[in-house]
Amino acid sequence: MLILSLFWLLLGVLIGALANAARLWPASSSWGHRGWLVMLAVGALAGLLGGWLGALLLGKYVATAVALWVAALGVVVMPWLVAWVRTRFRAGDSAHGS
Amino acid sequence: MSSEAQEHTKQTVTVPVTGNAAPSKTRRRRRLGSVVARVALVLLFGIGFFLSAFPMGRATLRTVLLLPTLLMASEPAPLTLLDEPVRRTQMTISSASGPVYVDVYAPTTAAPPIPGTRGGLIMIPGIGDNRNVPQLVNLSLAFAHEGLVVMNMTTTTLAHYSLSAQDSDGVVQVFRVLAHWPGVSAHRIGLVGFSGGGPIICFAAADPRIRDQVAFVALFGSYFNATSLLRAVGRRALTVDGRTQVWQPNPFPIQVLANVISETLPPAEGSRLQSAFTPGGKPLTAQDLARFSPGTVAAYHLLAGDEPDQVDANLAALPSQAHTLLDELSVNRVIDQIRVPIYLLHDRSDTSVPFTESRDFAAALMRIHHPYDFAEFGIFQHVEVRADLGIGQVLSDSPRLFRILSEILLPSS
Repeated sequence: MLILSLFWLLLGVLIGALANAARLWPASSSWGHRGWLVMLAVGALAGLLGGWLGALLLGKYVATAVALWVAALGVVVMPWLVAWVRTRFRAGDSAHGS
Repeated sequence: MSSEAQEHTKQTVTVPVTGNAAPSKTRRRRRLGSVVARVALVLLFGIGFFLSAFPMGRATLRTVLLLPTLLMASEPAPLTLLDEPVRRTQMTISSASGPVYVDVYAPTTAAPPIPGTRGGLIMIPGIGDNRNVPQLVNLSLAFAHEGLVVMNMTTTTLAHYSLSAQDSDGVVQVFRVLAHWPGVSAHRIGLVGFSGGGPIICFAAADPRIRDQVAFVALFGSYFNATSLLRAVGRRALTVDGRTQVWQPNPFPIQVLANVISETLPPAEGSRLQSAFTPGGKPLTAQDLARFSPGTVAAYHLLAGDEPDQVDANLAALPSQAHTLLDELSVNRVIDQIRVPIYLLHDRSDTSVPFTESRDFAAALMRIHHPYDFAEFGIFQHVEVRADLGIGQVLSDSPRLFRILSEILLPSS
């Protein structure tokens, strides 16, 4: 499982790189100058999570396919989620301020 | 001076233009790159989701991973990372026709929560005891590594190079054992028959005790009608698309047919006929033939192929018991009782069972509107992958093999 886990990590990193090329990190650059690196990490973690989830639910043969779509979903959803959370908190802060 | 002015004008005019064009070109390129990357992400998401969330996708994925193992006759090293641990055991099961010898390849882990149960395969690897043939062991392990429970069976009759329709009870008994195997669902079990094992599989699939539970039937290099098989052997020729082509059978199916027909002949003549067609056996002499009954003589000429023009007359001269037995061993008598899809595979240059048998089978299934799929191949030698495969041959046959394998893997995915 160690080699498979490393493979899913690598797959996630590649998906993260693709997300960087697709400019999917938050437009406000809230992730700082290292946003691209965060995106690679998000991809890697989502890939690993997806792989393990797939292996446990569907078996090892299908796990890589799950890692693939979970990583792709992760790099799309994470930046959106981060931006949404920040906007919500800001809105909350300004409401409290007024 | 005027040329300097012109130069100056050119500079003042052209520099800003090129200065704008470069960033916009880069911007356009970046935008295009971003669009391409987004499309790639969507595609990867879609492919991954399809291959894991839908049974058809999982069957496709399993086939993709199974195909190299099948074509290379051994599992490529990287794929071993994905293997479920498998245990091979042997058992003997009682049936109405005698003991059934079974090799079981079963994953040692529990079935994954999705789909929750495992599929199973019962395979008869032809006539004889072929359970240790390396390519069969490789195929069985490959299926088991993908999570299926595989049972390869043979019977005493098959091990003695003969055929009996009663052996179908053995398949039914093995089916019952597999249906109760931990984690296996009775409705995800397919029956696979190689060569002479095909008809036995069909008789079992038509058996009322299990016919509503079997998931599919797959036949590889099998015959449809025992009489037409004997006719092809006697003629040493096939009729393909209305044209006659030479067909030279190898000695093994002739030996099996001799064993089968000999049961219907007078005992002494039957055993002499059998020994004439065993490897290294002595052919019958003219004196032998002069002493034998017309039925035995006809059978000998059919099997020896020395009277290709008299085939119909020789078939007619066979004893009535032989005709009854050949009819009993023919699949055509049960096709309307099989309720599941039938997948037919056949080597185009098969020298054991002519590929026209599977063509006739497919035509009969089409006539009765029975769900089936049929594919002819050049990469096999009877039922084994050829050793000298060319890349062109592999590429042309792989899509057909892929299609049938994914159909076979669908019920268990």
